[in-house]
Amino acid sequence: MIGELIDGPLWYFAFGVFVLGVIYRIISILRAGLKKDFSRPRAEGSAGALRTLFSRFIPRRDVATRGRLTVIAGYLFHLGLFALLIFAQPHVTFFSERITGFSWPALPYWAFIVSAELAFIGLLLLWLHRVLHPVTRLLSSIDDYVGIGLVFLVMLTGCLALAQAFEPLRLLHLFLAELLLIYFPFSNLMHAFTFAFSRAYTGATMARKGVNA
Amino acid sequence: MRRALIPHKGYGIGDDWVFYLLILIMLSPLLVMSTASAESGKNTQPIQIPNPSADLWREVRQRDAIAVGNSQVKSADSGVLINPYGDKWRNFRMTQLIPYGGYLLAGMLLLLIIFFIVRGRIKVVSGMSDKKLFRYSLYERTIHWCLAAIFLFLAFTGLILLFGRSLLIPIVGQEFFSLLASASKEGHNLFGPLFAVALVLVFFRFVRRNIYQKGDLTWLLKGGGLIGKGHVPSNFFNMGEKSMFWMLVLVGGVIVGSGLVLVFPVFGQGRVLMELSHVSHGITTLVMIVVIMGHIYIGSVGMEGALDGMTTGYCDLNWAKEHHEQWAELCEEQNEVIMEDEVSRLQGDTKANSMPSSLTQETGQ
Repeated sequence: MIGELIDGPLWYFAFGVFVLGVIYRIISILRAGLKKDFSRPRAEGSAGALRTLFSRFIPRRDVATRGRLTVIAGYLFHLGLFALLIFAQPHVTFFSERITGFSWPALPYWAFIVSAELAFIGLLLLWLHRVLHPVTRLLSSIDDYVGIGLVFLVMLTGCLALAQAFEPLRLLHLFLAELLLIYFPFSNLMHAFTFAFSRAYTGATMARKGVNA
Repeated sequence: MRRALIPHKGYGIGDDWVFYLLILIMLSPLLVMSTASAESGKNTQPIQIPNPSADLWREVRQRDAIAVGNSQVKSADSGVLINPYGDKWRNFRMTQLIPYGGYLLAGMLLLLIIFFIVRGRIKVVSGMSDKKLFRYSLYERTIHWCLAAIFLFLAFTGLILLFGRSLLIPIVGQEFFSLLASASKEGHNLFGPLFAVALVLVFFRFVRRNIYQKGDLTWLLKGGGLIGKGHVPSNFFNMGEKSMFWMLVLVGGVIVGSGLVLVFPVFGQGRVLMELSHVSHGITTLVMIVVIMGHIYIGSVGMEGALDGMTTGYCDLNWAKEHHEQWAELCEEQNEVIMEDEVSRLQGDTKANSMPSSLTQETGQ
């Protein structure tokens, strides 16, 4: 009964909330608009937006030195999670059956395990840094901890269900993933989408002002 | 043939009775036995006919040593039909490792409880001061807690796998335990390599301060201050902490090595090596868990002020003087003592208008 609920209606509800919520949040940001800039631009804003969008993937030298731990852990976690989410064989099968209708090449098992290892060590280090560093601790809210906790639990239950021999473990993983999908649009996890807007805005503004940022 | 054996040439017809008499004498015991057998037919056991293939299977069973044959399959142990050490390994696990391992863990827990009741929480005799010393950087605390979190997860899942059949099945039932064991195995295998990574990070960060120095033996001989009331001077790490570090590195190395042999059975390792790895993995992890139980005890309820350094990065000056006197004196000489108010500002406890320059210490740079 509970299994059917998790595997059926709750999944569609969570997915619907996720899609509609993300669209709503993005439209809200776009509709907020920008203050009119009457000054004569020193450079093309769109070029600056595009440049900053990609250049920020490489941290500035001082950030890379002082915040080496968070830079490395951040990359480990995000790349590992991306590989797990998109290219893990069970996920490819799930997406093709439930959403896309087509599949794509999946990671071999060893690469799946390596991705999970990277994602876990990255997330653990980032969470510890957030808790132990006085500045990030001050800046963190309950939202951050709930987001980290949910992501961690989803990843953990997914890995505990790796044997694919016990339906309750798969359902537990799916249930937590559904909670994450419902929570996602209304949390800081939205940075997965909004990072592009914030980088582009900063890049365009600075380019118009002639600032190398 | 008979003619050749018993030639009758030279004997007359009348001589044949000798031959028949001899036959009768030879067969008489059999006739007697068969008659007796027929009479007591219901009381006798069936005739034991030895299995003609018994020797073959005895050879296959190989109780004494492994005999390797030939097989078309070319992989580890493909030529071995039965591994006799498997039975020894299973017996060791069931009759020695599990019960004695359980006694070891329960004994350590009991010992800590008794020690706490008898000795109580070790206080800072001169009381907590309003001065602090910077002890662990952010990076050091992060990798310490990373190792700790991974170790606790591995210990928890490992204990489920080792003792679950005996302890958990009677409580949660076979069905739930099978699910729990599967999840524990997958989680244990996944987090195992992360323990190796965290161990390497901890090793390189702390090894310099854990090299034995003059005076460490004195600390050991005086019981490290746990026994008795007197203070025992030591440096940044005392003899006990240094010994735990080296135990962690050496025993942890065995745990990692044996664990990798078990997790990645794709490098040609045979069953015997994996059984030995399992035995060494089980024994060394139990030893490690026992030692870490002591470490957790001292770091939490056992000693006042011991945990602060690993949570905030700063320790109390009086605590340092009582437990790491030589290091505390050195810090005082170098004017590295920080007032508690400044530490509080760094920790974000009060609103600070300006960020102190010593924040660079906090970030570990």
